[in-house]
Amino acid sequence: MKKPKKILLVEDEENLRLLYQEELDKEGYEVTAAGDADEALAALREGRFDLVITDIRMPGKDGIELITHIMGQRRDIPIIINSAYQSHKDDFMTWAADAYVVKSSSLDELKSRVKELLGS
Amino acid sequence: MIETHGLYLGDVERNAPKELVLLSIIAQSYFQPFSLQDNLLVILTALTSGSGVGFNRAMLFRAEGGRLKGEMWLGPTSSEEARSIWEILSTPGIGYIEIVEHNRALLSRAGGTLSERIKTLSFPLGENGLRIPSRAVERGEIVNVRGARGEPEVDRRFLDVIGVEDFLCVPLLAREEPLGEIILDNAFTKTAITESDIKLAAICGLIAGNYIYTAALHKKMLDMEKFAAMGEMAMYITHQLRNPLVTIGGFTDQLLRYEGEDRRKSRRNLEIIRAETRRLEDIVYKLGHFLKPEQKPPAAFNPGPILRGALDDPGFRAKSRGRRIRARLARAMPLVIGYPTHVGEALRNLLDNALDATPEGGTVFVQTSNADPRWFVVKIKDTGRGIADRDRDRLFLPFFTTKEGGVGLGLHFVKRIMESCGGAIEVRSREGKGTEFRLCFVKEDRGTDA
Repeated sequence: MKKPKKILLVEDEENLRLLYQEELDKEGYEVTAAGDADEALAALREGRFDLVITDIRMPGKDGIELITHIMGQRRDIPIIINSAYQSHKDDFMTWAADAYVVKSSSLDELKSRVKELLGS
Repeated sequence: MIETHGLYLGDVERNAPKELVLLSIIAQSYFQPFSLQDNLLVILTALTSGSGVGFNRAMLFRAEGGRLKGEMWLGPTSSEEARSIWEILSTPGIGYIEIVEHNRALLSRAGGTLSERIKTLSFPLGENGLRIPSRAVERGEIVNVRGARGEPEVDRRFLDVIGVEDFLCVPLLAREEPLGEIILDNAFTKTAITESDIKLAAICGLIAGNYIYTAALHKKMLDMEKFAAMGEMAMYITHQLRNPLVTIGGFTDQLLRYEGEDRRKSRRNLEIIRAETRRLEDIVYKLGHFLKPEQKPPAAFNPGPILRGALDDPGFRAKSRGRRIRARLARAMPLVIGYPTHVGEALRNLLDNALDATPEGGTVFVQTSNADPRWFVVKIKDTGRGIADRDRDRLFLPFFTTKEGGVGLGLHFVKRIMESCGGAIEVRSREGKGTEFRLCFVKEDRGTDA
């Protein structure tokens, strides 16, 4: 049996974190959830991940700072920005992320971007 | 030898060359807090003041919606009035400010003034605008008319109003855009318009055009700033509303897909949906407060019952479980100035924040201080982790929050409430030690809550 792909999910809102975690679990991924950028960086130091999904607006370091940190350490890890800001969608390429998904109660777009980037 | 002079020269002597007087009048307008209307009046004043260029009368037309519309007309209405005005203006000691003031009064005098007569006048610009007066601004050239009755190009309606045969049309332009026109005549002295008068009038026309252009740019800039602020706010509101909506929608989808499979999970989803709905209500309520301006003036009230009410609030008491609340309130409180309902809300906001910041086993201190003769101070201190340096400057900005699920309007609201009644909010914080907020209320002179 193939080992499940590992996703690091960074989301400061507890309920949303739970929703994404459950939905991605159900798709067969192994999800580690972090509530802020520092927790995410700690998780990245401890383990290997195949994909990072991050929010932008978070207390403390925001998603853009987190991406900058990740790029400094591991250039090969794909990153999806999952944000409530529709208006930032045009800028995401400059932040070196691989995809930008606007948060929606239908998780279809997020799931299909994950699938594309993980080739699964 | 070194000689020094003040930068603000004041009025130039009356026998100085016309050019110097004109330059001095216009330069002074730059140091006055005048509106566009006033600045245009300054130009007309410079053109008609005996010590300036010295025309008898000056008309101003502004281009608007493809037409040249009459706006002001400065000068005496009769030769008697002309004599009396020139007498006043040549009185020793009458300076530029007085002349502008005098002209302002002249313009606002109700009924029968020259301005009233031209305010109903307008002439088309564009293809049909080749008649005088429109022609000057249309072609961007100064037009000197002598013997107007014999010139078929001069609009007859205009001629009837101006009532003279000789006049000068000066276009007002900026970046080749037609902005208006100034029309000058010597109705009372009947003196001929000289080459030097035309040159000075041209300079005034350039400056007036620049005033109008700059004022329009300034307005555009203010509109853009307002628009940008609105755009930024709309972006934050979208963000604030989207998160709970996504949560509600997502967990509802789960319920619909797996209905009845796991009762415990269904119940959990419903509880999350309920909590997020309440959060949405809270956001909408706070936004309502944020967007609504306060119209009533603040009043004197006793802060004692409001402060005690906030501390006895069942919600606050329930939330404070596991933390100590140390309240040291003055027995006699002075009357303070403010909005009692809003102050109650501001206090609840700060107490709520203090509880959020304080870990279990920690303490929240509430204290009042009546020592200052002018201020009554309420201090709310927590023993939490303090505010990070990076967040300190942003603390009171709308939509800034460090709390999970926070709206970021609480502290902004408190600050606005305090400032709207002449008070203030101060914050002292040390990372790792805690934060103290001080609400400083202006005391009313009389009365205490004994």
